[in-house]
Amino acid sequence: MTEPAATDRGTIPGPAPAGPDPAADSPAGRAGGPARVHPVRRRDPVPLGAGLLIAVIGCLVLVIMDGSYLGLTVTTGVGYAIVTVGMVLQLGYSRQLAFSQSVFMGVGAYGTGVLETKYNFSSVESLLAVIALSAVAALLVGAVVTRAPGLALALATLILPLFIYQLATFSSWLGSFSGIDGVAPFWTGSDYTATLVQTGIVSVVLLGLAAGIVLRVMRSGIGLQLMAMADDERLGESIGVSLRQRRLEVFVLGSVLAAVGGAVLASVQGIVTPDVLSETSEITLLLMVFVAGRKSVTGVIVGAIVIEYLTTSTSFISTNLGIIEGIALLVILLVEPDGVAGAIDRLLGRRTDRWAASARSWSAARLGTRGHAAGGGNGAGNAA
Amino acid sequence: MSEFLNLLAAGLTSGAIYGIFGACLAVWFRVCNVLNLAVGDFAMFGAIGSAWLVQTAGLPFVVGIIVVLAGVGLTAWLFDWLVLRTAFDRGAGAHGIVGVFFYTFGLSLVLEGVARAMFGTDVYGAPSIWSGPALHVLDFHVQRAGVLVIGLAIVSGLILWAYLRFTVSGRAASACGESVLGSRIVGIDSAKFRRRIFIMTAVLAALFGIVESPITGYTYMSGPTLSLIGVVAAGFAAFRRPGRAVTAGLVIGVVEAMLGGYVSTSYNDVLLYAILFAIIIFRPEVLGLGPEPA
Repeated sequence: MTEPAATDRGTIPGPAPAGPDPAADSPAGRAGGPARVHPVRRRDPVPLGAGLLIAVIGCLVLVIMDGSYLGLTVTTGVGYAIVTVGMVLQLGYSRQLAFSQSVFMGVGAYGTGVLETKYNFSSVESLLAVIALSAVAALLVGAVVTRAPGLALALATLILPLFIYQLATFSSWLGSFSGIDGVAPFWTGSDYTATLVQTGIVSVVLLGLAAGIVLRVMRSGIGLQLMAMADDERLGESIGVSLRQRRLEVFVLGSVLAAVGGAVLASVQGIVTPDVLSETSEITLLLMVFVAGRKSVTGVIVGAIVIEYLTTSTSFISTNLGIIEGIALLVILLVEPDGVAGAIDRLLGRRTDRWAASARSWSAARLGTRGHAAGGGNGAGNAA
Repeated sequence: MSEFLNLLAAGLTSGAIYGIFGACLAVWFRVCNVLNLAVGDFAMFGAIGSAWLVQTAGLPFVVGIIVVLAGVGLTAWLFDWLVLRTAFDRGAGAHGIVGVFFYTFGLSLVLEGVARAMFGTDVYGAPSIWSGPALHVLDFHVQRAGVLVIGLAIVSGLILWAYLRFTVSGRAASACGESVLGSRIVGIDSAKFRRRIFIMTAVLAALFGIVESPITGYTYMSGPTLSLIGVVAAGFAAFRRPGRAVTAGLVIGVVEAMLGGYVSTSYNDVLLYAILFAIIIFRPEVLGLGPEPA
């Protein structure tokens, strides 16, 4: 699931076939532009299949673990994984330099806690409400912060966790330093073990859904637009990509997934504390993404669960986790910037940078089409 | 009036902390376009290391300071030799926006982990360089360590500003940040400037940690917060102007203290960060970063 190749779909031009050319009568064809454009494939089974596979494997693993401590760790890791899947799209794929994921994770966690303990919402109701609330919040915040260029966006989103964390620690309504206790699990069973397994199953289904959505976006024409933007914003703009709109969409989707991850964490742990909003939380998320592979959905899911396991284990590793994570990060940045997933892809001969080549060829095709033909439409958008 | 002056003193002291880290970040970013997110961890090592050497190992204070500063300088040189040289001089590894943030972020994690392994989770404070009761001038009360902190920040900011503005070496260092290729073509060794200024800012941060730690105390986890505060101050100086970063830090500190004194002691940081956030979003030109050229 690492950036699948897209050269056989979308609007990327291929070699002209023998025989009559159906594109010859098109405006582009008449103007002497690229003679042939591949038809758009509107049905892409990969995202749905991948989402289902993740959900099924996750359910099986949790059932086998049968409510053990390891099962609790994996379920907590699944909560983080939902956040990191969104970060693949935001940081890895679109290179949107936003560090606000811990804030929205907090929105999800605190939203669930407040709605369940103060307003007697059920788990499902609170989850749906949190999704709607975080979408609106992300839209409002994103409309403002995505106006900021490059480093200013990074700076603005670095400040966000600082003051939201302070706000949570001093707000008695949010439980101050001790947070909110008594958050109900997603699916209450007959005993603790059954509750943990059932809540874990709901969590992995949400993870499968999140992965499916993100993969769908990545494999669509919008995904190609995002890659073009990430590669060179001016290039993206010159081929008709609405930078502001795409930035906002990516910000909202990443933030909503972070909120869903926060809701999962609250539901699994039964308590929400300000720690979820702290910069330490953001650092942990960044490590999960960059060490595992910032462009790989599978990589970050495995990375989130493994790092969560290492964090909570009581061995030598957990004591010296900072040193290990730091050295691992440095080695990965120097040797394989696409993380462990990128290294595995390299070993298997599936280099991820062919996606960049795909984006470049797609952009070149768009430029060529626009240069030769009047108009040009929004093929990539249609492909989505 | 008395309350205002004392709030001003407190604000200048905390502002000096923001400013000095901002200056350290800005001067190095100006040379190589990389943010030093480990600058707070160098300060932490300076503070905890000197306290440990003096209080636990029994070394004289001056010797402890020299040993710690030498150790921090050596660590910075080693990091440059092992990581930055490989990444930026040999062209290996991640570049672009990942390189801007994550090499020094990795170093920060390593330093934090090493500090935890070496010194544990206790709070440390180095002995005060200028011990004695707080100074009183009319209604103005300020701790001696606070005076040193403010003085060190202002002097460092002035020296860095003058170095970059008035010396040939400083202009050569700035040229490296503008264009590595261009600076190399005219014979400037960009790697040398990157290495020297990285080591210099690491040692300066460690010295600042030693001077400041009697006021706040340090744990192995103090570094990232200080670095983050430095990033904010440096951000208000376009990440490139150390003198302006010190000024920005002092202003931020004073505003924070005034908000705490006159508005809310609990929510002063919340209000401060909200104001900074609003400035970044609605008046990005204040940062000097501005909109990206079309």
